Amino acid sequence: MRHQIEVKNTSFSYSDKQVFSNLSLNVGEREIFCIVGPNGCGKTTLLDCILGLLRPDSGEIVVDGLRLQGIEAKKLAERLAYVPQVHHRTFPYLVKDIVLMGRAYRTSPFTAPSKEDRAIAMAAMSWVGIQALADTPYTQISGGQCQMVMIARALAQQPKVIVMDEPTSHLDFKNELLLLEIIEELVKNNGISILMATHFPNHAYHFEAKGLRTNLALMNNGAFERIGKPREILNEENVRSIYGINSRVLDCSLDNNTALRQIVPLSIVKDK
Amino acid sequence: MKQKKMFIRAAIIFLSPIALVFLTLFIGRYPVPLKEMPNILVYPIFRQLNGLEDTYYTIIWEIRLPRAILAGLVGASLAASGAAFQGLFRNPLVNSGILGVSSGAGFGAVLAILLLSPASHLVYIFALLFGGVAVFFSYMIGKIYNSTPTIMLILGGVVVSSIFTSLISLIKYVSDPFNQLPAITFWLMGSLASASSQELLIGAPPMLVGVIGLNLIRWRINVLSMGDREAQTLGINVKLDKLMAICFATLSTAGAVCVSGTIGWVGLIIPHIGRMIVGNDNKALIPISCALGASFLIIVDNVSRTIISGEVPIGILTSLIGGPFFIYLLKQTKGGAW
Repeated sequence: MRHQIEVKNTSFSYSDKQVFSNLSLNVGEREIFCIVGPNGCGKTTLLDCILGLLRPDSGEIVVDGLRLQGIEAKKLAERLAYVPQVHHRTFPYLVKDIVLMGRAYRTSPFTAPSKEDRAIAMAAMSWVGIQALADTPYTQISGGQCQMVMIARALAQQPKVIVMDEPTSHLDFKNELLLLEIIEELVKNNGISILMATHFPNHAYHFEAKGLRTNLALMNNGAFERIGKPREILNEENVRSIYGINSRVLDCSLDNNTALRQIVPLSIVKDK
Repeated sequence: MKQKKMFIRAAIIFLSPIALVFLTLFIGRYPVPLKEMPNILVYPIFRQLNGLEDTYYTIIWEIRLPRAILAGLVGASLAASGAAFQGLFRNPLVNSGILGVSSGAGFGAVLAILLLSPASHLVYIFALLFGGVAVFFSYMIGKIYNSTPTIMLILGGVVVSSIFTSLISLIKYVSDPFNQLPAITFWLMGSLASASSQELLIGAPPMLVGVIGLNLIRWRINVLSMGDREAQTLGINVKLDKLMAICFATLSTAGAVCVSGTIGWVGLIIPHIGRMIVGNDNKALIPISCALGASFLIIVDNVSRTIISGEVPIGILTSLIGGPFFIYLLKQTKGGAW
């Protein structure tokens, strides 16, 4: 199977502090890859390397057949889009202006997006279901809606992969589900692969229960302790090992004869 | 309907600088008879004086016209670079002098006044040069972090500005209080009083290149205003685009400061008036800021040279006239989308 993202034996350090070393991961087509781990374990730094924002010390990162080393931002943006954890809103741009920026890689420094680009941006907004907000200043919409704008902007890039950094961390229950369902649609209908860092291991269960090809990496201290299917590796023992907490895995059967597995945190493991 | 209304409004805003330049030809202390105007205006084409006084020709073509054009260019340059810097630094409170160009240019000018003479053409050249030098230093300070993050650039600008401001004070302190100090003070207050076709020749090229450049790169400023991380993942060369935008903004501001001295206010407030009218998309904002800045400065300059028998430095009048107008507009538009 063809890989959309390949990270091979990659290491990164800030001057003298090693953030992660010898990491490898593959994200296949129409696949969701979730990275879970405690704060400060190196998730965001790893994503930054994949986004081309940081240069790894060693190893190789390949996105859709393209080696990242020394590549133009434009070439990467054709293949890979980014949904940030929080987008800091400064100027009250209209929602459609923001989504249109997804077409930036198609422009030269001295040109603006074409009519066709505007149509693509409009289609991306309709797809996400925010076309009614197109002419609203995006400083006046809710945090949940803003996250949808970020997804629409990523979609306007027409990428093969979307990288998301804790995309639900500021969302309420409903908006969280809305986002998870949109991710599901992106993978099923648009054939986009997703690489996401998340603080909610249950997201991995959620995608798996929906029948999506899902992989999970449990990251701790700059290394992947486990990589595999959520049902195989996301268990009480591993959660205890990476987070230092006691937890319980629960299976609940749903109305339509499907089951959803969830992991529930219980208490912090006391030092012996 | 709404679109038609917007089109008419845009047409008015963009045509007003040209209309104002034309209007300026009729305004001034020296009376030029209205009936002679057609003759004077066509003179450069037909080269016939038709019994006209030489003075009329000189006043219209060598004093009022260059001055009006210069005022328009300076206004457009300050407004465009202010709007560009606000976007670039993701901060609606910065103005065209944020990277130290104004204090650098000011230092260059007063240095030339001190070492040479107030009348020397090197005053312009020095101003232009040191405006560029100041921005270069700010940029290098920002680059210590090797990726020119916004906050370091702003800090660099603040540091460089304060150094040059101190140097200006130093020069004021050592200058001759009877000849040089008044010239220095007057220059720093900002004025277009010495406008001539020669000044136009020196100031116009950098301003034109800067303003045209900013207008060309304007959509990219939207993308840059998303912050470095996002801008890069959206597929633009952040370093290069930022550098280009800074260069264009510096050229236009330095060009403006070198012919007019430091005129405050325009680079901060005119972009905000533009934001109230057309919104924040730089694609519309930068051209409209140019037109508004040009119109505004032409009007203020006309007031500054006619209100009293001498001349009020334009730098004093910009906020006196612009302030109330800004408040009026704020009330009308409820501040746009802020």
